[in-house]
Amino acid sequence: MRYPVIEESTVRSDDPVRQDLPGGYAGSLLRVDLTSGRIWTQPWTPAEMRQYLGGAGLGAQLLWEEVPAEVGWDHPDNRLILATGPLAGLPVWGTGGLSVVTRGAMTNGATSTQANGFFGACLKYSGFDAIVVQGQASRWVYLSVHDGVAELRDAAFLLGKDTWQTQDALHARHGLPGHQMSVYSIGPAGENLVRFAAIAGDYGHVASKNGCGAVMGAKRLKAVAIARGTKALRAADPQGLFQAADEIAYDLKTNPTAKSLYEYGTLWGVLNLHGQGALPIKNYTTNIPPEGTDLAAWEAPSLRQGFDHRGHQCNACGMHHCHMQVIPTGPHRGELVDEPEYEGWAGAGWAIGCTDPVAISWLNTQVDRACVDVNEFGWVIGWVMECQEKGYLTKEQLGGLELRWGDVEAAARLLHMINQRQGFGTVLAEGVKRAAETVGGPAAACAIYTGKGSSPRGHDHRARWEEMLDTCTGSTGTLETGPPVHPTEFGMPARINPFDPDAVAKNVGTHLGRRHFEDSLGACIFTTRTLMENLCRALSAATGWEYRKEEAMHFGRRTAVLLRAFDLRCGLGPELERPSPRYGSIPVDGPAKGQDVARHWEQMLDVWYETVGYDRKTGRPLPETLRALGLDDLIPVLWGPENRRR
Amino acid sequence: MAWVTQFVGGDGTRRKVFREAVAAGATVRSILADLSDRYPRLREVLWERSGGDLGEHIEVLVNDAVLGLSHTLDSEVREGDRITLLGQYTGG
Repeated sequence: MRYPVIEESTVRSDDPVRQDLPGGYAGSLLRVDLTSGRIWTQPWTPAEMRQYLGGAGLGAQLLWEEVPAEVGWDHPDNRLILATGPLAGLPVWGTGGLSVVTRGAMTNGATSTQANGFFGACLKYSGFDAIVVQGQASRWVYLSVHDGVAELRDAAFLLGKDTWQTQDALHARHGLPGHQMSVYSIGPAGENLVRFAAIAGDYGHVASKNGCGAVMGAKRLKAVAIARGTKALRAADPQGLFQAADEIAYDLKTNPTAKSLYEYGTLWGVLNLHGQGALPIKNYTTNIPPEGTDLAAWEAPSLRQGFDHRGHQCNACGMHHCHMQVIPTGPHRGELVDEPEYEGWAGAGWAIGCTDPVAISWLNTQVDRACVDVNEFGWVIGWVMECQEKGYLTKEQLGGLELRWGDVEAAARLLHMINQRQGFGTVLAEGVKRAAETVGGPAAACAIYTGKGSSPRGHDHRARWEEMLDTCTGSTGTLETGPPVHPTEFGMPARINPFDPDAVAKNVGTHLGRRHFEDSLGACIFTTRTLMENLCRALSAATGWEYRKEEAMHFGRRTAVLLRAFDLRCGLGPELERPSPRYGSIPVDGPAKGQDVARHWEQMLDVWYETVGYDRKTGRPLPETLRALGLDDLIPVLWGPENRRR
Repeated sequence: MAWVTQFVGGDGTRRKVFREAVAAGATVRSILADLSDRYPRLREVLWERSGGDLGEHIEVLVNDAVLGLSHTLDSEVREGDRITLLGQYTGG
């Protein structure tokens, strides 16, 4: 993308709505160079909007074009792309979406990680579809965007603050409390370049994957604060959009699986995954809950009713998903926290041996406020607890700290050491893969990670081979396909044997691209859990295009290929597509006892590679795959003489 | 279990246990079909609309193992076997 540049140190976008734009678009990218302090706007064309959509799609294109191999995650020339999409800010449920795309710190490869809240809507109402940050500030700054005016401001008064404190301080500084301003920021973890630092905003929403918070920290950008602007945002077919939004909402309220999300968010996850042997307990050492655990307390209604709670919905959302709650008992009684997602219950709880909902709820919010990825947090703390129990790590190594299974107060102290890079916290701040490699010996065999260095979600994937394969082959720093939604829409069976390697790999490969499409719309994946044709109807009504699911999957696969090409350029090849020994081990008990994913790993890779049309040996998308996706210009790049010698 | 009980006359919490006499030749499929006959809402969510395959919403386990391991849908059921219906995983 090459466009004229309007140079200003602060930028004011007073243009009326461009009449040539498809509906749903603001029409400009906000460019920020932190090294020079320059800010400028970059218009983009309707043709490019259709080709890249927004979010993950736009980010993947910019990453591929602008971040060469020699620019590592902490290099000033790395890009931090905060992008939304064409549905953001429109009256479709959950459309405050933010996609963070960058070269991440955990894998030193591509990242696409999402959060919700109000960021996407506020950005669109301020006249921008995305923010692209490059360079490195000489002192800590934050970016303020207010109705088309963008400025870099001194962030000294925010340093050391956690993400909730940062949001409080910026609301006060700008006199814009509540939903009048969306703030996404890093906490102490990002300031100190903890590799699994995240970016969090709007009190409880986290773009958590692949160390995107460390990238923001390396740029000395503490926060992005966007006032809810007043710029017009039109849909091409307002009535059609309302109809499509109603159909999506109806589907979410009546489809049996989506209905559980509609009513309780992800709270059912613990019990459902436990029943399948996919709840990670004590760092994958068991799949049996600790003695005395009251599983009835883990039913979604019980979990929610155990707290004084209030809805905390995202932009235009009617789901009863996100909630805030008050700690009812114990040392933190009365503290306001965010109701954990399933991943929080797992990472700040079960993975570290804690089954007390009150304690987990508190710890989960501390993780979000300090701002690290709760998945990696669980694998790091669980690893330390197991290693200390087995004598692989001593109390002295941990600065006098003893971590026993389930001790959330000790876990919080270790979180602080990690965030401040104190003592052994410096080793752990690198993530569990690098920490295990540093410690070595038998401790190394206990760590849960992928060969690329990304963090598995908070599941026991030894009972969910689909997600293990997806996580290990993914090019987004996390899984990139996710659990199939309405698989029969793609001609796949509604249900497969989760331990059938061929069926698993075929399933993962066939659905590749749907998530990339969803992550490019500016909407939440919990509200896009509907038929693709419904999403395409909403997109068509918003933009005025005639958009069908075939184009959506073409777009999604194209985006997946770009991210893979980027990862290959970064040196992340197929030789790294494997689980660590513990991640790929055999469960010793529970419903998946004895299932050996490692025995079938190569077979699954064979089928997956064939399904997605990539070369099994080199990992490169095949020339015919590239041609089919309209990416002919990548053929000489990936398959030219230089690469052929590899 | 829990969320699934709303489809068999419960409120979507706790367990609802059915103890069924097992006729000779009964299979996982026939047991589930009988239960579906008694609870039409279960039929809607358990099965694909066309054909006799399981749909995407409910996970079926026999003796704590998902289908495909010790049992398939057409495996015979013996006295004492335990069939569990679980809600589908809905992401984190």
